[in-house]
Amino acid sequence: MEKILLKNIDNPDSAGIEEYIRAGGYKTLEMAVTQMTPRDIIDEVKNSGLRGRGGAGFPTGMKWQIASMDPKFPKYLICNADEGEPGTFKDRPILEKNPHLLIEGMVISAYALQSTRGYIYLRGEYPLAAGILSRAISAAYGKGYLGNDILSRRFRFDLYLHRGAGAYICGEETALIESLEGKRGQPRVKPPFPVNAGVWNKPTIINNVETFANIPYITEVGGKTYSKIGSKDSPGPKLFSVSGKVVKPGVYELPMGITLREIIYGHCGGLMEGRTLKGVIPGGVSTPILTPEKIDCQMDFVHLSKVGSLFGSGAVIVFDDTVCLVKVYERIMQFFEHESCGKCVPCREGTGWMRNILGRIGSGGGTDEDLDTLEDVAKNVAGKTFCPLGDGAANVTLAFLKQYRDEIEYHVKNGKCPVDGLPHKDNRESHGGQSAPVEQT
Amino acid sequence: MITLTINDREVSVYGTATILEAAASVGIKIPTLCYFKGLDSFGGCRMCLVEIERVPRLQTACTVRVTEGMVVRTESEAITAARRAMLEFLLINHPLDCPVCDKAGECDLQDLVAIYGAHEGRFLEGKRTHPENFNDPFIVRNMDRCILCTRCTRMCDGPQGAYAIAVTGRGSHSFIEPFSGGRYNCEYCGNCLTVCPVGAIMSRLHRHSYRPWYVEREVETVCGFCGVGCTMVLQMRGGSIIRTMPYVGEGAVTGSYGSAGSAAPAQGLNKGLLCVRGRFGYDYLENNERLETPLIRKKGILEPVTWDEALSYVASGLKDVKAVHGAKSIGAIASGRCTNEDNYMLQKLMRFVIGTNNIDSSARFYYSPAQSYLERIFGHGVTANLIPGIANADGVLVAGGDPTAINPILGLQVRALWRKRGKIIVVGTPSGLRRFVNYEIKPHPYLEEAVLGAIVTRLAAKKGFRGENDNIEKYIKATAMPGEQLLKKANVSKEIVDQAAEDLAMMKSAVVIIGPELMERPGASKNLFLVSAIAYLTDARIFLLSERPNYQGVIDMGCAPDILPGGRPIEADVLQHKIKDADVADHKIPEHKIKDTAWTKAPVRKGLNLFAMIEAALEGNLKALYVMGENPVFNFPDRRKIENALSKVDFLIVHDIFMTETARRADVVLPAAAWTEKDGTFTNLERRLQRVRSGIPTMPGRGSVSYHRGGGADKRPEWKTLAGIGRLMGMKENYLTSSDVWEEVSRVSTLHAGLSYDRIAGGNTIWPYGSEPFRGVEGEFEVEAPGMPPAMDDGKIYLLQERQLYHSGSITRKSKALMSISCEAHVLLNAGFAERCGLKDGDKVIVTTETGSLTLPVKTDREIPENVAYVPNNFDNVSPLGIIGYTVDGYLGSISLSGNVVTITKADGPSDAAAGEGYGDKKE
Repeated sequence: MEKILLKNIDNPDSAGIEEYIRAGGYKTLEMAVTQMTPRDIIDEVKNSGLRGRGGAGFPTGMKWQIASMDPKFPKYLICNADEGEPGTFKDRPILEKNPHLLIEGMVISAYALQSTRGYIYLRGEYPLAAGILSRAISAAYGKGYLGNDILSRRFRFDLYLHRGAGAYICGEETALIESLEGKRGQPRVKPPFPVNAGVWNKPTIINNVETFANIPYITEVGGKTYSKIGSKDSPGPKLFSVSGKVVKPGVYELPMGITLREIIYGHCGGLMEGRTLKGVIPGGVSTPILTPEKIDCQMDFVHLSKVGSLFGSGAVIVFDDTVCLVKVYERIMQFFEHESCGKCVPCREGTGWMRNILGRIGSGGGTDEDLDTLEDVAKNVAGKTFCPLGDGAANVTLAFLKQYRDEIEYHVKNGKCPVDGLPHKDNRESHGGQSAPVEQT
Repeated sequence: MITLTINDREVSVYGTATILEAAASVGIKIPTLCYFKGLDSFGGCRMCLVEIERVPRLQTACTVRVTEGMVVRTESEAITAARRAMLEFLLINHPLDCPVCDKAGECDLQDLVAIYGAHEGRFLEGKRTHPENFNDPFIVRNMDRCILCTRCTRMCDGPQGAYAIAVTGRGSHSFIEPFSGGRYNCEYCGNCLTVCPVGAIMSRLHRHSYRPWYVEREVETVCGFCGVGCTMVLQMRGGSIIRTMPYVGEGAVTGSYGSAGSAAPAQGLNKGLLCVRGRFGYDYLENNERLETPLIRKKGILEPVTWDEALSYVASGLKDVKAVHGAKSIGAIASGRCTNEDNYMLQKLMRFVIGTNNIDSSARFYYSPAQSYLERIFGHGVTANLIPGIANADGVLVAGGDPTAINPILGLQVRALWRKRGKIIVVGTPSGLRRFVNYEIKPHPYLEEAVLGAIVTRLAAKKGFRGENDNIEKYIKATAMPGEQLLKKANVSKEIVDQAAEDLAMMKSAVVIIGPELMERPGASKNLFLVSAIAYLTDARIFLLSERPNYQGVIDMGCAPDILPGGRPIEADVLQHKIKDADVADHKIPEHKIKDTAWTKAPVRKGLNLFAMIEAALEGNLKALYVMGENPVFNFPDRRKIENALSKVDFLIVHDIFMTETARRADVVLPAAAWTEKDGTFTNLERRLQRVRSGIPTMPGRGSVSYHRGGGADKRPEWKTLAGIGRLMGMKENYLTSSDVWEEVSRVSTLHAGLSYDRIAGGNTIWPYGSEPFRGVEGEFEVEAPGMPPAMDDGKIYLLQERQLYHSGSITRKSKALMSISCEAHVLLNAGFAERCGLKDGDKVIVTTETGSLTLPVKTDREIPENVAYVPNNFDNVSPLGIIGYTVDGYLGSISLSGNVVTITKADGPSDAAAGEGYGDKKE
């Protein structure tokens, strides 16, 4: 497949504006502002069937249309570059290797949405990308692709880079807005949705890095042509960040709808010699794990939900038989506990509880009731949290419990791990009357 | 209106309602923890989860708005299970220390666990722990117990606008902390205590001594600290206050009082908020130094006597003075801290029993002159505007003082307006409104006139004249635009003045708030006129800040040398041309009515006002003075003069709750009852009449019986003592209860005609109380000829009184609680100025005027102007007012501070400022 998002990526200077322009960059922007109306662009995006690449898969065109119909101005454009879920690193190549594609995509979007101000909310732990992006933004200003009079078309768009402070929750759009406004990063009540009342209560369009990166191509070739790539319901190219026990982990640009098997065995070189597949997390740790027999499932928003998982961000994590999944899930729960913002009760208290139970089971102190308690706690969290973070934590636990109950029961029964025959290290916090540490991130 | 179904019941509500509000409107209770009426909804506790038909997930009732045809269930097995699960989650980290927690019994979490479970925990690991935090003098944080509902931070960032506390940390490790880390250093409103649903933020004042079931009586009354008149609840045990709470209506579950109410009760004009004085300051009432028995000076020493002896001593003393020197040699000072009934009775004693109009109060300083001046411009009742209405205006001009310190709850309304994006313009140091203004207009004190004049001329040019009030328009037209030189001298730029005039011109519904500082300097009438002109041009509602709970009542009860109860001028002939014949025919003239009840007519000649009484005393013409609830020696300027005057009074009666500086000089000292110990009414600065209720059970026919401290000390209300004196002097009426007194007021005063305690009880008795308001004084006012403002010489430092949020007059120095926050006097200087003088915070300096000096520690502030030194007049031995003089403004009749140019020198010795004994001194 022709690379669209990672075009030119092998060029060592791909992040520079000269190289980007030499490879045909900013041509589409020029075309868009001279030959297309904002309406045209929104229509093309709608026709393309592009779905948001951040994880939820909301149709981008529809989001844009709602925002463009809102009479309030100014409208803010935000790029969600707070890529923080374990296993997800798909935006990184765009941010570090192809920043101008993102900027071009944002400027075209700004033109379509008549936005005059945009922010890139960058994950705090991406210092390299921060440098590259800020240089890219200055370069774009220098060439007149950003600023007061873009391409002399009296079209104004200012773009700012805002670095997060290291909270996973700020990838959630309303928490991101709170954080951007200088407040504590916690999700807001929805509705109103950001498209109507986002930053400073003004209409705000938030899209993922990869979503914006798709915009120049859609604008260039038209929504119809674009929609032929990938599967019918979820068209387009997709970046998959594959990690875990494969021979060639990395970021792959592949069409939507490709099967997991193709990704693992066709593109990533399969598993290492003599190993067997134990499970795959298809879209980041907040998506339920799949057992090996389900890897022929197509990777898109529709098919994955049919087999009980979610597409998520396309972060494929592969586990072979040398991995203890109880340990994996204890670690995943530790992540969720650490990243729970603390706003709602079930997520704040439930994630830690689940981690504690998994930790106890792993270290050999588990009982039969623990399995029931774990399931009960997960069920009590699921569907009752304020935002999807807690839901995700609960649902992946439930899926894990359902599909790998044998492995958990082995730990409970034998007090040791089936992989190495030893109990895990007990990582549970000792609560010894000390003041709770203020977590530094 | 939207109709939906909740638990098979049809409910109709406005479209903006949430499910929770809709359910509450028909009495369906949905459990909540993070919800609190009046705060932004949060949706974090997940207790109010309900089922909505065709919505797959449970939804939070506090955040979801109703839609047409919505079908909601608030109780089901799934919902109960979810709520139990949430409580189980909370109990993971919430300690099970209910037996030692002061909140037990009124803890929302405890109550909900009792209803829904989880009764047995399944969590096996240890709980998160935080040591109790005692860094603060009266807020104890016990963050083990915190359930992170954030009601406190939403209160602090929302209605209070103090931004003092925040959630620190993330996830289950997060907790609430003041930004300072240790002590709160905040406004200490304590509203976070009201809203905390568990025992995480608690008051140290009643630590380990408060339990809900200790409360024997809950009395709804009105706070006695300032002129706002916040509704509050006294929780009493054995005649002692164990806690004060704002009156929170249904829906807010704090306190048994709230949940006991049936129909949703009004929350009072303060909407469930209190300030530091109202919430924590009550402990002065139980100070050991309270006067308990009457004292008579015998051989130079004040000795305790019985009430009977004291009353007959006073009566015969007054009789003697009257017999020898005549009634005009007797005077009285009424009190803005006493009830209407007390003040009415003092007025009656003076006017109708003794026969003198020599009665006045410290309202004369600025409140009553300003009010009567404003009424002469705009007509009666011009200051009768509702405080909660401020937040509904679209702009506010504040001049003459910080409303958030003088009348804190009124100040909060200004902040609320700011949150609604209203424009706040402060002329002067914004202090508590610092974060709530777009730009600062800080003229040098004494040069406000230039800035106000500049605003008025620009505003008049922008808005033009409506032609409603020729008189004021005439004066506005005569107002000259102050030159740029003068503005420069006032340290205000032309651009800022333009901006302010622009913003004022844009206001459609404006509010003007006038504080005392505008009037206590030379040219007071010019300042007040200019502010009135702004109010006229913007058609604004006017608020006059009041430092005492009942300044308005003092005026309305006729405690002034020229007016009778109800505000009728005493010199009826002055008004002859304005009184309709019909009034005379209907016997509406107050004198007639009073004659019916008091067997004599009031003297027809005006009496002496406060300042004239002092002069008369100095000249030896005032032989007897009755001082009720006032401390002239400490609270009035020019202590030497006041002391001199009092020493020349042959017969000085002081009626107070403490042995004040004035009481020490008295011939007779009568103990008084404080506002929590008597029944009556206060009239607040909105002119709203509100009931004050005694926390102590009263027995008919006797004084209030108190069986706490001092065993049987008789907290006899002032009106009762005064009536006793009156009867000994020949008054016929006998009053058993305060309502008897009020009943007479309602007959005597046309303003209060027909008002009974029952009608006042609702708190909605607002001026003109359904009566025919008295009219006929408009249009007669004068403005001091425009000219150069008073000399404001460069480089001179002017001593001014700092009006502190934490203190109120001289009574709060007896409050251990308030003393523990603000325990000593200081001199507040501009930081830049202090630096240039080589002074830093804490350095001792001597502040010297012509007549005296004070040694004080320095406190620096970047915000205040350079040419002032602010010293609070609230601490023992430190009375800045005492060392400066005063004159009387010729146009307003208000007080004008003079001789307040000071020199400041570095001192080596100890300061005069007494260190207070506070709660903070002890470590628990």
